[in-house]
This record gives sequence, structure tokens and C-alpha cells, in this order.
Amino acid sequence: MTNEKFEFTDSLKKNLYIMMGLGLLGLVWVFLGDHESNHHGRLWSNLLANSYYFTGIALFGMFVVSATQLAYGGWQTLMKRIFISMSAFARIGGFLLLLILAAGIADVHKLYEHVSHIMHTGHGDPKYSTKLVYFASWFWIGRVFVYALLWATFSIVFDRFFGEADQSSQAKYKKSKLLAAAFIVVFAVSESAVSWDMIMSLDPHWFSTLFGWYNFASYGCAAWATSILIIIYLKSKGYLNQVNENHVHDLGKMLFGFSIFWTYLWFSQFMLQWYANIPEDTNFWVKRFDEPYFKVTIFGALIVNFLFPLFFLIKRSAKRNFKMIGFGAALLIFGHYVDFFNYTFVEPNWNHEAMEHGHGAAVKSENVVMLAEAHATEAAHGAAATDAVKHEGHEASAAVEVKHGEHGVESKHGHEAPVKNFASIGIGEILVFIGFAGLFLFMFFSNLSKRNIVPEDDPYLKESEKLNVTWA
Amino acid sequence: MDSVAPNKFVVGLWDHEEVYLHAIEHLRHKGVKIYDSLTPFPVHGLDEALGMKETRLHTAGFFFGATGTTLALSFMTWVMTTNYPIDFGGKPNWPVPSFIPITFELTVLFAAWGMTLTYLVRNKLWPGRVPRIYDKRTTDDRFALVFDAESLTDAEINSIKDACKKEGAVDVKDKVFTEAEGL
Repeated sequence: MTNEKFEFTDSLKKNLYIMMGLGLLGLVWVFLGDHESNHHGRLWSNLLANSYYFTGIALFGMFVVSATQLAYGGWQTLMKRIFISMSAFARIGGFLLLLILAAGIADVHKLYEHVSHIMHTGHGDPKYSTKLVYFASWFWIGRVFVYALLWATFSIVFDRFFGEADQSSQAKYKKSKLLAAAFIVVFAVSESAVSWDMIMSLDPHWFSTLFGWYNFASYGCAAWATSILIIIYLKSKGYLNQVNENHVHDLGKMLFGFSIFWTYLWFSQFMLQWYANIPEDTNFWVKRFDEPYFKVTIFGALIVNFLFPLFFLIKRSAKRNFKMIGFGAALLIFGHYVDFFNYTFVEPNWNHEAMEHGHGAAVKSENVVMLAEAHATEAAHGAAATDAVKHEGHEASAAVEVKHGEHGVESKHGHEAPVKNFASIGIGEILVFIGFAGLFLFMFFSNLSKRNIVPEDDPYLKESEKLNVTWA
Repeated sequence: MDSVAPNKFVVGLWDHEEVYLHAIEHLRHKGVKIYDSLTPFPVHGLDEALGMKETRLHTAGFFFGATGTTLALSFMTWVMTTNYPIDFGGKPNWPVPSFIPITFELTVLFAAWGMTLTYLVRNKLWPGRVPRIYDKRTTDDRFALVFDAESLTDAEINSIKDACKKEGAVDVKDKVFTEAEGL
């Protein structure tokens, strides 16, 4: 095989610039189109969801390289460069998250206002004493800064280390194991912690102990799907001639496996909280299921991310046919975007005007009082609401359901305050997603064009070239 | 598979997998029908060389699994809604989320047992069966091809033997089983 480099053509560059331009347009769109009471929650949740999603995909690229390197994997060697180049986005992704968090702490937007609120008023509540330490501004922002720095460093080191010549020397091979092991450790800690810091902290009352895993599985699916789409694209441009349907088949298997893994975590998270019925946990779901829009997106995501791969990707022929697996991969990238949408868009986009009286308590006129105990500033109201929730829990089938007009919160308003959620996947969201995809691909292709696509002297190259997925 | 298993075979033995794979391709090209193939370890590309069709075992597995899913869901639904409805922790009488783990387990159980038993039966690996050993060295370092010689004439058998030797077989021999030696 000849030494070939990817040629980053002007027409491709132009297309990616157009995508990024559309993204900027989308940002302007969501900025202007947002409800005025929303403190531009829509703009920032767009930025957060996409930065987080694409950073995750980028990190997963390095994870694949590390994991296969440690496990003596050979099948992926031809595609190794693809995964390393995917991680190029990690050089800016972490800093984008840092920017979003810094803006939140500087009160530019209200994404993390619940945490800030606890920080300012939650003293004396033993429930939040540990959170006060963990979410101290300097510690919080310092953590995210460390992740961003580590990810960027690792991305550059991976690129240099695996890109430079003489992979076959024994010393270098040993060092590659060390590097891979170091990244696995860094990744395991930072990807869990960043999911708490950036996503779970949007709703500080809600806990999920498997949230780091969950996020990992979600952008893991997206990363496998991205690699499949990129390989299909590169092959259509005449690169990667030795990569054939056997390699795509293996990637498809990983995509299928991660989809099932994601579902397992989705359900484990949901079922335990549904069964235990602790108001703080169920709040999270009640808030979403009460909005018809999120009911659709949550179950829609479950259908696209679980049932679709289960019945479509399970077939060998579907995984080996580039058109079919390409369609599946594209659909799953969208599906997991919707998944992150469900996590990031709900909290920041409540009608803040209606909520301000109740300090963030999301009150629906019909039946639900949420976050009542935590946000009530007046102790009496807080106690009443908490008790109400606890007592009702024994009687009613849904513990968080507090009858309208009986207790605490809306008596504070003295008037009906219907809370509406502004979040939806509209033109703006799609444009911003396209913009981020353009940025991701721009960094990917400019990294890919620097070095040979196929690592010629990798000791496992032969194994990858001969990959053959049999019937068994 | 034939209803009556043949008893008379020609066995060719190779000592290198590459030569063996090429031999299979050439022999099949010549129109020689291969009855079985025995190797000491999984050889990559053997399935394609032998021209094997995709196994239908996983399709069977899907249906076994679907049986488990249906059985679990319908049984729990019947118990919880009709036969013995109880109020558990304020949950509805048809608490689907709490059915899912058990449904999953039964799906896996049915699929696993069904596929295992199907596999064993199809390969005639039931208890008490005396296995037919074509050559003991296939568990060590020899790659064997087995040809059905039951209905072949001597001339045809000799031509198969010659073809095997030409393709690099280190040994070619006849193997005849008596009925007592199992299936």
C-alpha cells in the first residue's frame, strides 16, 4: 500500500465553512428567537449540549485507540488514524465547556443557577453541605480547566506519538502501552466527573450514580457511528482501499453493542428511580413526562437508540452493507443528540418569570409541585411542602404528586403561574448542531491531512489487513 | 444432512493451514465434494473456502428469545392483573418497568438454552453418543479433509486420493466405520 495522505481539498473546506456558517446563523437564530424571560437559556443550552456531545465523541476516539492498544487489538490498525484524528476536537472541546461554565458562574446565563442558589442560600441544610464544597466556584471551574488541559494535551501527544515513524520498535511499543494506560485512567475519572460538573449539576437535586457511564455509552455510540460515516466517506473519495466491509462490520458490531449497553444504563437509571420513588429523583422524570414534548423526545430517543439497532443492526447483512450501516449510523448520531437534548435543555428553559416567585420551583397549574422543598426560601413553606410530599407518597401512586391548591408553593404566588418549557428541537438547534459538526469535521480533516492515513509501520498492520469476519 | 450417515470415507491429512486452505479451494474447483473438515484450531477463511452458508442458528436464537420475552411478559401480566393482583408500594397493578429485568433474564435464558440444545442436536452431540474419530492427529497438528466414499467407485476414490496428494496432503487413507462405532 502506498503512503497516502488525505488531501484536504478546497471544495471540502468550503463545504465545512458553510456548515460552520450555518452554525453561527443557528446561534443567532436561537439567541433572537428565545423568550425574553429565559435569560438566553436556549442559546447556552445549545452550546452546552453540542460542546459536550462532540467533546465526548472526540475523547472516545482516544479511548478506542487506548483500549485496543492495551488489549493487543489488531483489527483496528487501519482505522487507528481515524480515531486519533477524531480526537482533534478535544483540543478545544474542553475549553468550550470551561467557557460555558465560566459564563455561568459569572452570571451571564442561568444554566447553573440552581447550584448557585444553593451556594448562596443553602447553608444550614445538611443535605447540601458536601455540595457546597464540591461546587465552590474555584474548585468547580478548576476541575473543568484541568480536564480541558489534560484532554488537549493527550490529544496532541496521541497525534504525535502514533503519527510519527517507527511504530515497530520495541521501546516505542512499550511506551504506547504506558500512554494508553495513562489515558484510560485520566479518561475514566474525567469523563465521569465532567458529566457531573456540566450536565448533572443542571439539576442539583437529581442524582444518578451511573451517569458517567451513561454519558460514556451515549457518545460512545455516536463515536462508533461517526467513525463508520467517516470511513464510508473516505472510501468514496478513494482512500483507505484496504478497509473493507469486514472492518465496517466490526465497527457496526461495536455500535450495536454500545446501543444495547446504553439501553441497559438508561433502563437501570430509570427503573430504580421509578421503583424507589424518592421525590428528588422522580422530579427529574416528572418534569420531563409532564411536558408532552419531552415525553416524545425521551421515548423517541429510546426507540431510535434501542429498538432500531435491535431490529436493524442485528442483521449481518445490514452491518456489511455500506448504505444500510451508513443510514443506521447517521440515525444513531441524531438519536444520541436527542438523548443529550433531553438532559441539557429541560432545566435551563423553564419560564423564569413564572418561576422567580417560587425560586425556581417548577409549578404546573394542574397537578405537580416540584423541587418544592429545596427551593422554598421560607422555612415554613419548605417544611410544609416536604412533609406533604412524604405523606402523599404512602397514599398516592406517584409520590411527587401534590394536589393543586392544598400545599405550599403556589400560595406564595397568590396567582396561577403556569410554567412552560421553551425547549424544542427547531431550526436553530439543527443549525447549531450542523455548525458544531462542521467544526468537528474541520478539525478532523485538517488533522488527518497532516500524516499518512494508514500507519505503515505499525506492528499490527498485517493483522488488520487480513481481517476476516466469518459466519461464526 | 443425510438420513443415513455414510460409513466409508477417504481422509486426507495436511500439515500446514495455508496449503490446506489452497487445497480446499482447488479441490472444490475440481468438483470434489467435501464431507467434513477437521482442524486443530480455528482457521481464518475456512468458512469461505468451504463455501459454507450462513448459519441459521442465530435466527433460531432470535425466536427462542422472543418466546422467552412473550412468556415472561404474558405470565407476569396475567399474575399481576388477573390472577393475584397485589398493591406493591403504591405501584400500578401492571408495573411494566419492574417486569423488564425478569423479561430480559427469561429472554436470555430461552435464547441460550434453545441455541445450545439446537446446536448439540444438529451436531449429534447428545449424551452417550460415541464420536467418530477420523484421525487422532486432528486434535494435535494435522488438518483433515473427509470425503464421503460410500457411493463412489474405486476409480473415483483413487482420483480423489491423487488430487489430495497433488495438493500437498502428507497422508491419505481410507477410513471405514462399523455400525457399532456410532454415528
